[in-house]
This record gives sequence, structure tokens and C-alpha cells, in this order.
Amino acid sequence: MVAGIKARHGRLLGALAVSLLFATAAQAADPDKFKIGGVVSLSGTYGIFGEDMRKGVEIAIEQRGGKVLGKPIQVIWEDDETKPQPAVQKTTRLISEGVQMIFGAVSSASSIAIMNIAKQRKIPHLVTMSADDKITVPNGSRYTFRTSNTLGMEQRMALSFTKEQKLKRVYGVTADYQATRDSWEWYRREAEKAGVEIVGADFAPLGNRDYSSIVDKIARSNADGVALFMTGSDAVTMVKQAGQVDLGKTRKIFGPVIADETMAAGVGPASIGVYSGVRYHFSVDNPANRKFVEAFRKKYNELPSSAAGEAYDGMAWWLDVVEQTGSWDKEKWVAAFENSVRDNSVEGRKAMRACDHQAMQDGLWGVVEKGVAPAPAYTMKIAKVFPPNAVFDACQP
Amino acid sequence: MSTLIIGLSLGMLLFLLASGLTLIFGMLGVINFAHGALYMLGAYIAFDIGRHTGSFVAGLIGATVLVAVAGALIERLALRPLYNRPHFYQLILTFGVILVISELVKIVWGLGYQESTMPEALAGTVELFGSTIPVYRLFVIGFGALVSGGLFLLIEKSTFGMLVRAASSDGEMVRLLGLPVSSVRMAVFALGSGLAGLAGAIAAPLFPIELGMATNTIIDCFIVVILGGLGNIRGAVAASLLIGLVRAIGYSYMPSWVDILTFALLIATLLTRPQGLFFRATRSA
Repeated sequence: MVAGIKARHGRLLGALAVSLLFATAAQAADPDKFKIGGVVSLSGTYGIFGEDMRKGVEIAIEQRGGKVLGKPIQVIWEDDETKPQPAVQKTTRLISEGVQMIFGAVSSASSIAIMNIAKQRKIPHLVTMSADDKITVPNGSRYTFRTSNTLGMEQRMALSFTKEQKLKRVYGVTADYQATRDSWEWYRREAEKAGVEIVGADFAPLGNRDYSSIVDKIARSNADGVALFMTGSDAVTMVKQAGQVDLGKTRKIFGPVIADETMAAGVGPASIGVYSGVRYHFSVDNPANRKFVEAFRKKYNELPSSAAGEAYDGMAWWLDVVEQTGSWDKEKWVAAFENSVRDNSVEGRKAMRACDHQAMQDGLWGVVEKGVAPAPAYTMKIAKVFPPNAVFDACQP
Repeated sequence: MSTLIIGLSLGMLLFLLASGLTLIFGMLGVINFAHGALYMLGAYIAFDIGRHTGSFVAGLIGATVLVAVAGALIERLALRPLYNRPHFYQLILTFGVILVISELVKIVWGLGYQESTMPEALAGTVELFGSTIPVYRLFVIGFGALVSGGLFLLIEKSTFGMLVRAASSDGEMVRLLGLPVSSVRMAVFALGSGLAGLAGAIAAPLFPIELGMATNTIIDCFIVVILGGLGNIRGAVAASLLIGLVRAIGYSYMPSWVDILTFALLIATLLTRPQGLFFRATRSA
């Protein structure tokens, strides 16, 4: 009710702001299409993930006959080149083109930038990839939701793995940017509390090309575990070069998000035995996932990656919620999604938390093994499933 | 000591990539932004030939030759009409070439990472100075030294080299003497491109093969070209090794400062010796 009154006031005041005027006009006229603005990385460090997200979203749309609220769905895809500045420009342009929601991005820096615009312009924003914990904080943005993993849950699984394997001495290598540094510092603190000695910690620039000096330092250390807080090309290069001196034979290599089928394909044989948090996996056995995997294979002739699965899951969930509201009012979608529960998600049960707009879900922890066709040559096997309360803190008021 | 070996291998890889760039820059005056894209293309071609034939050497030769041919085509079809125009035309053109090559790679090989394994003979490791060093890294050092020697002889001692140097200092005069300046230019561009392809093939087993593989490396290459002096092969070798060592030492002691160290070296050079650390005043005339 309060929100409704505020919105009406907003409309009066909005006459002053041209942009808001456009937004209101777009909302008032009965739209002939449900337009989604997809801002993902199709190039740059995380370029590999954007294309897969697009594929996942397309399946979600196809499975509902390409329509929501009786209108055809149109997705306008934009490439943010894995950089926040293009993400901002392209999101702004998409909003001026009258999109009903923004989907994306891949890198957390881009998603946070988009989140701020979405909040200002009151456009719902769905995140299915970026894992920075700052995206879903209590009393954060009203318009941004994340249905995928947080880095927090992945670092908890990495810590739990460290303890279970009884690792004594860990060497950490971190991609030098805020989210991974925060994550590493958390891990370091908790691991030290648990009696693990941190024998080395290096911060390599994001997009680093050569890790051989760092690999050499680890090889000469007495570490029995190598914790990698990085992902994408960084993780692929690091694990591949660690394999060139057989580092993985004598030490456990693990990290919050350092391996999935896509990354393992770039690493090759050295990826076998590498442990990592898994966002989504095609092997999760439930009816919703079997149906999705089959549809995906039929359309693209390959198994869905974690980026594709998470994108599908989030978009399918969001569109179902929009459909249920029976309304074109964005505020109603947001209110409905805040308390939505999806029992039949492809990863089991997911429940959106109203306090921080993060979906509670199981945490998957896996290891790379040699795959058997039709699985890729290097495939993740789920080694452990963590229940939601093991990987999420309770919401603090 | 192992830092030294890693530094040398980083430097030699960089040299292989930068040599083609400095050659084209120095002899033709063209700033070839697409050099990194040609390097990436070389890596993909070597990977694909290696996958189908099982031969590393076939990949190496195939990548060099095919990328050289691509370079010759780029020069003949796109660059040649622009030699008499201002430099920024060439910048825009070579930038466009990057987009074309990236799209082609996307269409042929897709967006995913590809992985190329080392040839069996070079796949092992050796113990040196208390560190485990991949044999392939030593091979890179040796191969880089061979290529630098070969290039030096070609440019400084051969008739072709003399022609190239003459055409670069006074193309009009060489043309009036009845020598084929256009063909020489095309050959230089093809040679430089072929070197990029060769560097890609050599780098392929060390790094993931992906669309973005050139972005960070190419910046280092431009630094090498500036430090070494334009078109100066000996300068390029020295500058590459210098950068390689700075990076290896940086990674060993303060990884988060590596980029800053590299750029500090560049800035210091530009302030004190803008013509390049290894530029010899007697060289050009």
C-alpha cells in the first residue's frame, strides 16, 4: 500500500524527469511484448559464460511457449565485455528501450553496477551468475534478486573440505580484486582458527597470463593444499600450469569456483582431481533437471554447463512468478518473488529470502573426473551436497 | 635460479610474439593492432592441426604458414591502399581485422576453451636448482634463441634484409631503382604475421586456448617494441628478456605489483630514452 502511494507520487514527480516519464509511459500502455534486457559477458575474461547463459534462458522461454502474461517474450542481448562501464551503458540503453527486467551480468562488478541502475529506475534485476556477497545483503536493493550461489556458500564449502581432508598447510593464490580478496581473507581467518597453517598467499592480477613462478613457489613449499580464489581464464591457466609440474599429484588443489566442465576442457588432464564448488550440475537427479537436460541436449546437442543451468533455473522461476501475478505491475512481481519458493528447481528446493533477496539452496561440492560419453572428457562428479543451513548464515534483522 | 629460467622462458615467449610486431612496426611503420589476433589464430590452427594429425611439428609449421598467408592477404587487400593516408587509418583498419578474426574463430571453434597437449618428447620435467622445470619451458628458451638468431641473420645479413631496410628508409628511391617495393612490403607483413602464428603455436600447450588469449600479452608486446626500439631485433630480444625477468622476479616476491613494475619500466624508459633502451643512432640511415 505504501509502495503504491509512493509509486503514484513518483509518477507525478516523474513528469519532471524525462527518463521516468518514458518508463511510466511504457508501463501504462499495454505492451505487446515482454521485453527482457540480457547484459552478459560475451567477450573478455568471463566471455565463455555469457553464451551459455543465453542458451539456458532460451530453453526457459521455449518451455513456456515463448510467452508470459499472454505476450511473446523478447530478449535483447548485450555484451558487457566483462567490464562495468559497458554494462552501465548497455543497461541504461536497454531500459530506455522499455525492457521489463534486466538479466545479468556475469562479473560481480558489472552486476553491482547494474543493480544500482535497476534500483534507481525501479526495474527488476535477476542475477544468476555473479557470486559477490554484496549483491544480496539485508535491506539491499528492492529490485535485485539472486537465484544462484553466493561466494559465501562456496568459501564455506572450501573451508569444510579443508577440514575434512585434514589439510595442515595451505597455500592460497587469489585473483587480485575485491570479491575474491574478501573471500580469501574470510577463508584464511576461519582456516587459521581451525588450526590450518597458511604457508603462502599470493595475489595475482586479474587476467594474469603466467603462473609458472607462483606454481614454482608452491612446489617448493611444504603445502599439502592449494586454495585458488579465482575463476574463468585465471583458474584455467593456473590449474593447467600447475599440471605442467604435476603439482596436483602431491597436493590437493581446490577453490570456491575453479572447475566445471567448461573450465576443465581448457585445462585438460591436469584438471582431474581438482575440487571446486559447483553452481549447478546436469547430473542432479530430479524430474525438473532431467527435463531441462533433455531439452538442452535436443536443442544444442551438448550437456548444459553450470552457467546455462543457473540461468535457466532463475529465468524459469522468475517468469513463473510473473505469470502468477497476472499483472504488468513490476512492483507486484517484486513483492511476489520476495516470498517465492520453488520446490521443483533443477537443483532441488530453492526458497527466496525476503531479507536479502538471496535464494536459499543446497551447496554442491564436486571433483573433476574422467568423463564417459555423452558427458565431456573431463566431468565434475558431485562429491558432497551441503544443506542450506550449512552454507548460509541466518538473516540478521 | 629457477626464477631466472622461468623469466627466460617468459621472455622468449614474449620475444616470439613481439618480434613480428616490431618487424612490421619498424620496417613498414604500421602499428598492427591485429597482431594479437593473429597470435590467437595461430594457437587455434596449431591446436586443430595437432588434434587431427597428432603431430606438434605439423601444427607449428601449419600455423606459421597459414597465418603468414592470412597476413599477406590482409596487407594486399586492406593495408596497401592506406600507406599514403594518415596513421589512424591503419589503426582503425587493424582494429577491424581483430573483430573479423575473432568472429571467424568464434564461428569455426566456438567460444569454449580448447586444450592442446605438449608433444610427448617435451612433456616431462627436469630438476634444476631445486625446482621442477617443465622441459617445454627449456624448449621455448632454445627455440626463441634460434628464431632470434635466424631473424637477425635475415634482416642484417641477407639480400632480402638489405632490400627491406632500404625500402623502409626510402621506398621511393628503391622503387625508382626498379625493385618491387610492394612485394617486399607484403613479404615483411607476411613474415611478421607468420611469427605471430608461430608464437601462438608455441604458446598453445602452455595456456588455455581462448578468444581472450591475446589481450594481456599484446600490451607486453607493445612495451617490448617501445623498449627495444622500432624494428630492432636485437633490441626486441633484450627487451623481451628484461620484461620476462622483471615479471618472473615480480611473481616470486610481489605478484600484485607485477603489472605496476612492468609499466614503471616503460615509463622510466619513455622519460629517459624515448627512442628505446636498445636503439642505436647509427642504425637507420
